[in-house]
Amino acid sequence: MIEVKNVSMCFHMSPDRIQSLKEYLVTLAKRKLKYKEFWALENVSFSVRPGEVLGIIGRNGAGKSTVLKVISGILKPTEGSVSVRGNIVPMLELGSGFDFDLTGRENVYLNGAILGYSQRFLDEKYDEIVDFSELGEFIGMPIRNYSSGMMMRLAFSIATVVNPEILIVDEILAVGDEAFQRKSRKRMLELMSGGTTVLFVSHDLEQIRQMCDRVLWLDHGQVKMIGETKEVCDAYQI
Amino acid sequence: MKIKWNLQKGCLATLAAYIVLAAFFYWIGGEQLRTRVDIDESISPSASVGEILSDTVLEQPFYAHCDRLTDFSVFAGTFGRSNGGILSVDLYVQDPQGGKELAEHFSVDMAQIQDSDWLNLRLTQPLENAIGRSFLLEISSKDSSLGNAVTLYYGSSIAAGRVEVKSADWIPLRINGQPLEGTLCLEVTGVTDLWFGHYYWYIFTGLGVLLALYCWRLCLLQKKGKVCLGLKLLAAFSRYRFLIHQLVSRDFKTKYKRSVLGVLWSFLNPLLTMLVQYVVFSTIFKSDIPNFPVYLLTGIVLFNFFSEACGMGITSILGNASLITKVYVPKYIYPVTRVISSGINLLLSLLPLLLVILFTHTPVRPAILLLPFSLACLLCFCIGMVLILSSLMVFFRDTQFLWNVLSMIWLYVTPIFYPEIIIPAQFMTIYKMNPMYHFIRFARTVVIDGISPEPKAYLICLIFAVGGLVIGGLVFRKVQDKFVLFI
Repeated sequence: MIEVKNVSMCFHMSPDRIQSLKEYLVTLAKRKLKYKEFWALENVSFSVRPGEVLGIIGRNGAGKSTVLKVISGILKPTEGSVSVRGNIVPMLELGSGFDFDLTGRENVYLNGAILGYSQRFLDEKYDEIVDFSELGEFIGMPIRNYSSGMMMRLAFSIATVVNPEILIVDEILAVGDEAFQRKSRKRMLELMSGGTTVLFVSHDLEQIRQMCDRVLWLDHGQVKMIGETKEVCDAYQI
Repeated sequence: MKIKWNLQKGCLATLAAYIVLAAFFYWIGGEQLRTRVDIDESISPSASVGEILSDTVLEQPFYAHCDRLTDFSVFAGTFGRSNGGILSVDLYVQDPQGGKELAEHFSVDMAQIQDSDWLNLRLTQPLENAIGRSFLLEISSKDSSLGNAVTLYYGSSIAAGRVEVKSADWIPLRINGQPLEGTLCLEVTGVTDLWFGHYYWYIFTGLGVLLALYCWRLCLLQKKGKVCLGLKLLAAFSRYRFLIHQLVSRDFKTKYKRSVLGVLWSFLNPLLTMLVQYVVFSTIFKSDIPNFPVYLLTGIVLFNFFSEACGMGITSILGNASLITKVYVPKYIYPVTRVISSGINLLLSLLPLLLVILFTHTPVRPAILLLPFSLACLLCFCIGMVLILSSLMVFFRDTQFLWNVLSMIWLYVTPIFYPEIIIPAQFMTIYKMNPMYHFIRFARTVVIDGISPEPKAYLICLIFAVGGLVIGGLVFRKVQDKFVLFI
């Protein structure tokens, strides 16, 4: 399903980011156009079988989010290759495709299209999305009038309506008030246990132990350990 | 299974559309596809030969640059009075041995000749095989008398923009055998056959067969489950159609969201621009362009689209940075949708153009149906430009400011509110490198003259459109993977 082979990801870090042509030419003329290389991932290889839930753990800056971005195609690896079969729904950040001047309804379609849903699918699921978000009649209002909680509820409802083949989750999202948080957590767990392939990044080891079949431990951009959940978690906790 | 069926149906539809369009095009294109009218511009009139009296014989040899000679004009003057008598004009065909053969004889009543105007003489039968042959014009008058005769003008320089340039290869005018310092003001009009029209049906069949073969190949590859560029494009189109539709409708909805007149601005904007420029250029600066309102508005509508698409498209990658770093969507979607949004605006602004066409009583001929060709070429060119600009913008934020200056220069080097003849001839080659010049000229020929442009114009537009698109696409593809690191 997902095959990550010898992936390395290198970022060029220049001391100050060059954003104008003048700066570029000046630094080029001074021959100071040197980058500091930073390898966010080094020679990472693993594979995920269909239906498997793979947990990814590691410290801050270990490369967890970079791995997810490489798999979802946002970043292109400097070396190595990634092959993915099946449609991916990334749940990295909610509501990034919202347009504040449009109504809730229009945003459901816009955001759905960005996430790769088809028109027919959205037509079918539209009522379900609105019901879940508990927005009611507010759905016809421009979302610049929404409270932040309302916005997050709508975004969550759109993102989780799918039944994707591959789901990428960067921390379990729990938004809104307490009741909605419980509801959304339940929805996430349902999605993750529903036979889809899940890549799951979390700092909550308890959740990882509960949910995952296998765990990948990343440390400074390298695979420290991959294997059975219990083994890896125990090793990580020491 | 369903997609397979769709592809076959799509291929058949494409082929059918091709046949219908090609036949339709032959009908609309008409005479302009088969022949080209050549006009050999005249020398500027600078001096008169004096009254043409009974003992005066003017001799002007000239060469034809067209296949068939149809008519010619000379610049005449009457000294502001009405004259009597007959002006006889003889057109001879000269052979290399020095002999000459009368081709046609014209007798013009001098009373009919207008002062300081062109006297047009049309051959009863077009003279075939004229190209490269030498002709002789002999003008005399048997029964005119002093104070009762007309004159003709001659000169030695041609107008090129604001300056007069000495004409290079001229054959002197002879008056009673004496050569003068200049040539007769003579405008020769002829018709040249074009191979394109001649072989139209062969070209049509050839392209049709190629198209059919390609469709067949696509179907075959799909059956085998292989991919190629065409199939990939089709798949991408069907997959991202809904997204493009959503993004375009977002652009459109948010553009006029909080304005009172809303979508009406799409009509009003070009109309008001035209009105201002019309007032400025038809009263303050005199311009003698025929049908100036339509001339102006065609230019404005097309150029507005270009500058809007590029101006908005330049930030299309940066503006969607939050999406690009979070969700995977092919990045070209953003620039392309931006141009399509502007394209819809362009379609809306064609409505005021239509209004002005009706209002100025410009005759509407079938050739106006060729306008979409020019618009489609412009659209492709814009997509190419926006792909380049938006990717440059990611790396250098100066691009935006540079582009502001550049688009202003571009506006002035495109004949929007001035006629192209004011451009000096020596700069014309550089001037014609501007793609906008060709797109706008194409649109004007179709709208104002109501005829199809010559086949060369199609080719030039097509080259600029495809060239722009391909270069833009290649640049974009090369740098798109680095976008995420810079935004």
